Amino acid sequence: MTAPIVAEGLVRRFGDFVAVDGIDLAVDEGEIFGFLGPNGAGKSTTVRMLTTLLRPSAGRALVAGFDVVTQADEVRRSIGVALQDAAIDPLMTGNELLHLQATLHGISGSAAQLRSGELLERVGLVAAAGNRVATYSGGMRRRLDLAMSLIHEPSVLFLDEPTTGLDPTSRISLWEEVRRLNADGTTVFLTTQYLEEADELAERVAIIDGGRIVRAGAPAALKAAVGAPTLRLHIDEAHMALAVQTVCGRFGEQRPSREGVLAIGLEGGPSQLSAVLNALNDEGAVVDHVELASPSLDDVFADATGRRLEGAADDAAVAAEASAEGSGGGRRSRRSRR
Amino acid sequence: MTTAVAVRGRSQGDAVAQTMVLARRSLLSTWRQPQTWIPAIVFPLLLAAVNSSAMSRAIHLPGFPEVDSFLQFLLPASLVQGVMFGGLFGGAALALDVESGFFERLVASPVHRSTIVIGRVAGATVLGGIQALVFVLVFLAFGSPIAGGVAAVLGLVLIGMVLALAIGAFAAGLGLRTGSQEAVQGMFPLAFILLFVSSAFFPTSQMSGAYRAIAENNPITWMIDGARELVITGFSFADLGVALAVAGAMSALSLRFALRQLDRRLAASA
Repeated sequence: MTAPIVAEGLVRRFGDFVAVDGIDLAVDEGEIFGFLGPNGAGKSTTVRMLTTLLRPSAGRALVAGFDVVTQADEVRRSIGVALQDAAIDPLMTGNELLHLQATLHGISGSAAQLRSGELLERVGLVAAAGNRVATYSGGMRRRLDLAMSLIHEPSVLFLDEPTTGLDPTSRISLWEEVRRLNADGTTVFLTTQYLEEADELAERVAIIDGGRIVRAGAPAALKAAVGAPTLRLHIDEAHMALAVQTVCGRFGEQRPSREGVLAIGLEGGPSQLSAVLNALNDEGAVVDHVELASPSLDDVFADATGRRLEGAADDAAVAAEASAEGSGGGRRSRRSRR
Repeated sequence: MTTAVAVRGRSQGDAVAQTMVLARRSLLSTWRQPQTWIPAIVFPLLLAAVNSSAMSRAIHLPGFPEVDSFLQFLLPASLVQGVMFGGLFGGAALALDVESGFFERLVASPVHRSTIVIGRVAGATVLGGIQALVFVLVFLAFGSPIAGGVAAVLGLVLIGMVLALAIGAFAAGLGLRTGSQEAVQGMFPLAFILLFVSSAFFPTSQMSGAYRAIAENNPITWMIDGARELVITGFSFADLGVALAVAGAMSALSLRFALRQLDRRLAASA
């Protein structure tokens, strides 16, 4: 049997701009596949091609076994799609929108009513189903969007940045629902710019940047391939050059990081942390803050592209951090993650 | 090379059921935004009130059609004016669907493509009929008789529906072309101009020069004159036929335009 989602050399150009530049994908049946990348990397363009909303400029893609260009109708009948921004008519009620979506998929009468009821219960919107969507919170809209995309029991579900803009509680609630769906056998193609989301949900991820897939595989394997944990030293600009000279090469290779932070792959692991701090102290470089984190998907992205994912630093900061006085009299913190 | 996996979704939906559910959405959305349809009823009525007060003695001018009152003369004009404005609002809602992304949601489903336009326009058509009935009832309440009786009332409602279809389809086409509700609403002045260079507010027999020539050759004049005969003379299939033929021709052209714009927008993703 063909994999539920297959892309071969998929390309999409807009004039001279190449948004997606020859990507290959094969998503296995029943898996949650994470498609990770920064804004503008080509995630949504890829999803739009796979969901028949955009015709590829070159290459081909099969979804649920159907060609997205020559068998677009069959693809649309087989997939559920929850696009970015949950475009839901605010003047309609949840019930009305589910009924509309059911009719568009050829489900009518009592079957539609039964299915709507099941889905409303599943996403926890039974009480609000008779209210207009304008009164829903962002999380409720996303859950209704998810319910609408499931009305016809699709075999493949596309979720395009489903939790963007949601508060943490709503995000976790949506994750749980995605896991439940997957446990029921639905193949899920999830695009996200949140590292944590991909890490939490996806069995495999593909990282896209500049329209090309730069890494693909299981998150654990990708992180393990990066190797050494990342040591981030927050250092005053006046001492940065000195710190780079003292640390880089001797304790590990420098890694991409934001301004004011020196990041290195700590070759010797956490046991080398005090040696690094002592060396900086000896040279008189003031360290304001220290973070030590096991390789994350952000490190995988950085390793592949030389850049950090937008907002990734905040996710990575989940890595424990502590503050202490730095080796040169400044504050120093140390904690390790995973 | 490939084998299709089992599809758990149902067959491609019934086009009629899809049209009906989209028309229902169109009606509900409009009903729930009274700011879009109340002005389309109130403003023509206000204009009729002002005109009938100011121009009441105009009915005695030589060559003016024989009417009970200027209000009776104005009924078809107010009806057409209100339905045109209502239709513009109804069609413009498709531009909002494009702006909000709802259009894309529809396109991602196995909907018959043409039902996206036809469903929206069907909603506008029903609203046009309701608007026409409201105008007739209000004018009757203010003592403006309808010589053609019940048949004429039904004819006026039918004219309102077909005209709403024409204007709704035109607005829907513009909405699909521009993807901007503001751009569609920018057509209001055009609707006003079309009405003012017609027999809507004054008979062409009382006009002169180029203005008269334009008004006499304005299809809106033919439609309004046909509807007006139903009101002031009596019911005749010929008059109803003229009015419906104009509205029908406008509908055919507008629908063709809207469906072309739909194709164009869908092809833009190719």
